[in-house]
Amino acid sequence: MALVKLVGLKKTYQQGKIAVPALRGIDMEIESGEFTTIFGPSGSGKTTLLNMIGCLDKSTAGEIIFDGHSINNLNNKELAEIRRHNLGFIFQSYNLIPVLTAFENVEFAIRLIDKHSKKERREKVMSLLEEVGLGDLASRRPNELSGGQKQRVAVARALIKEPKLVLADEPTANLDSETSQEVLEIMQKMNKELNTTFIFSTHDPQVMEYANRLIEIKDGMISREQRRD
Amino acid sequence: MFLFRMALKNLNRHRRRTFITALIIAFAILIYILTEGLMLGMTEMSFSNIINLESGHLQVANQNYWDERKELPLKNLIEPSEEIERKIEALSGLQAYTKRLNFSVNLNNGIDELPVKGVGINPEQDGAVFELQKHLVEGRMPQAESSEIIMGAKLAELMDFELGDYAVMLIRTPDKTFNTIDGEIVGLFNTPHPSLNENNVFIPLTTAQSRLDIDNQITNYVLRMESQDSGLTAAEELDRNLEAPLAAYSWKDTAESLVTMIEMQTIETQVILAIILTLAAVGIINTIILAALERMEELGMMKALGLHEREIVYIFMGEAAGIGFIGGVMGIILGVVGLFIFNYYGLDISAFTGGGDVTYGFPISGTVYAGWELSSFIFVFVYGMVVSILASFFPAFWAARKDPVKAIYHR
Repeated sequence: MALVKLVGLKKTYQQGKIAVPALRGIDMEIESGEFTTIFGPSGSGKTTLLNMIGCLDKSTAGEIIFDGHSINNLNNKELAEIRRHNLGFIFQSYNLIPVLTAFENVEFAIRLIDKHSKKERREKVMSLLEEVGLGDLASRRPNELSGGQKQRVAVARALIKEPKLVLADEPTANLDSETSQEVLEIMQKMNKELNTTFIFSTHDPQVMEYANRLIEIKDGMISREQRRD
Repeated sequence: MFLFRMALKNLNRHRRRTFITALIIAFAILIYILTEGLMLGMTEMSFSNIINLESGHLQVANQNYWDERKELPLKNLIEPSEEIERKIEALSGLQAYTKRLNFSVNLNNGIDELPVKGVGINPEQDGAVFELQKHLVEGRMPQAESSEIIMGAKLAELMDFELGDYAVMLIRTPDKTFNTIDGEIVGLFNTPHPSLNENNVFIPLTTAQSRLDIDNQITNYVLRMESQDSGLTAAEELDRNLEAPLAAYSWKDTAESLVTMIEMQTIETQVILAIILTLAAVGIINTIILAALERMEELGMMKALGLHEREIVYIFMGEAAGIGFIGGVMGIILGVVGLFIFNYYGLDISAFTGGGDVTYGFPISGTVYAGWELSSFIFVFVYGMVVSILASFFPAFWAARKDPVKAIYHR
C-alpha cells in the first residue's frame, strides 16, 4: 500500500476575481522509504503540492490518501494530529525558534507526542544531534549556528519523532554546495537507516542526484517521472 | 508546561518592549495601591476621629432620640439610673463611660450669631472616654459646675473670640423658653475632626442641664471599650439587655453615612483601577499582535509540527501572564515604596483643600497617613494578571487561527 496516494488533485487560488490554477490534476503514489524529488520551474506548483501532501492546505478537487486514509474531509484539528504524529517538515529558511537552544528546538517536536520519559527524550535528542554532527553544539541558540548547522538542527527536528514522511521544501536553497551535500548525506543516511520517506521540492540539481525518484512538475501537472535504483 | 516555559522565554526576545508593557500594568497597580492606601488611611483616621472625639465605641440613647439626633432635640432624653449604669459596667472590655448632653446653641459675639452644637460634658469622666484634652492648643478643660467653656480654635477665630473672652450662648429650654449662658472661654482646641473644630462648644454638663432646665437628664451615655471590635460586640450585648426605648449604638451606627460613603469610594477606586487596567490591556493587546506578526513564520512552523490552535493560544497567553506577573511585581514594589513614603511622611490634605476644612465628607483634617491591607495587594496583583491574560486572548486566538501556509510563507 502506498504511503501517499494522490488522485486527480487540483488546487485553484482565488486572487481577487481571478482564479489561478496551481495544480491541475495530479495522480501520484509515494511508497514508504522513497527518497523523492519534485522539481520544476518557479510557479509550477511544487510547494503547493508539498503543502497538500503535508496536510497544511486543502485541495479544490481530487483526493489525498495518507497511509490508507483519505484526509479530504478532516478538520483542522485532525489534520494537526496527522502532522504531529506522522509528518516532519524541513523549510528553506530553517524556521528554528530563536529563544530555544539546538537541543530544545529538536526536543520541542518530540515533546508534542509525549510518549517518552525525560531521560529517554534527552538520550534520543542527543543521539540524533550527534548523528547530524551537532553533539557539541546542542546548547547553542540558532543565532550562534551557521546556516548549515541550523538546517541540520531542522533535519533533526523533523526526524526526532520518527515520522512516516518528511517533507522538505527547497532545503538546500540557502546553503553553499558543500554544506548542501553534507545535509543531503545526512538525510540520505536517515532514509536508509530509519526507512523514513522523504519528499523534496527543489531547483537544485545536487538534490536531484541523491533522489531515487524524480518527478517534474510544469504548470501544475506532472510532466515527467523517473525512477533510479 | 513546556509551552508555558517557552512563553516565558519569549519574553526575552524584546526585553525593552516587555518591560514597557509591564510598566504600564505596574503603573496601574501603583495608582490603585496608593489610592487604596490613602482611602484606607482616611477611613482609619475617620473612624478613629469619630470614636475618639465624637461617639466613643458605643452609645446608649433613646431610640426616638437617635432617629432625630441630628436635629439636637431636647426630648426623648435619658434619666440616668443605677440600673442602666449597672448594665453598662457589666460589659466585658469596658474601659470607661461618661454622660453627655447635646443641644442646640446660637453662639453670639455681640455682633454675629452662629448656630453650633453645644455639648454638656462631665469634665472628670470625659477624658477617660474622649481625647479632647489631648488636642487643646490653648488653655485648659472647663471645671465642673462652672460656666467655663471650650471651643475649636477655628470657631473662635471665626467669631473673633480669644481665650478669656465671654461668649453668649443662646439656648432654648424644652418648653421653648429662651435662656443664655455667659461662657468664659478657658480652652481652645484643634482636633483632626473638622466639624468638631468648627461647630462644637463644650460646657460642664451640670451647667447645661440647669440652664436648659432639664434636671439631670442626658442625651446619651458614651462608652470606651478595649477595641473597635469589642465595641461592636458590646453594642449587641448591651442592646439585648436594655429595655426599650433605650438602645445601644456602636461607632459604626454613628458613622453610618461614612460607611456608605466609604463603600461608594471603594467602588469608585475599583472603577478607576478597571479604567487604568483597561488602558494597560491595550498595551498587552498591542504587544501580542506585534509578537504574532513578527513570529508569523515561526507560528506556521509550529502549526506544521502539529501544534493545535489552543496550544498556540496558551503560548501567547503565557507570555501575557508573564508580562502581567512582571508588571504586578513591579507595581507591588513601587506601591510598597509609595505607601512607605505616604506612611512615613503622611499627606497634608489641606494642600488639596486650599487650606480649608473641606475634606470630601471625611471627618478628618491635617495630615493623613496611608494604611495598607495585604488583601488589597493580593487583589490588585491577581486582577492585573487576569486582565493581562484576558487581554491576550483575542490577539492570541487571531494568531493561532492563521492559515499555516500563509504563516510559513508570510503571505
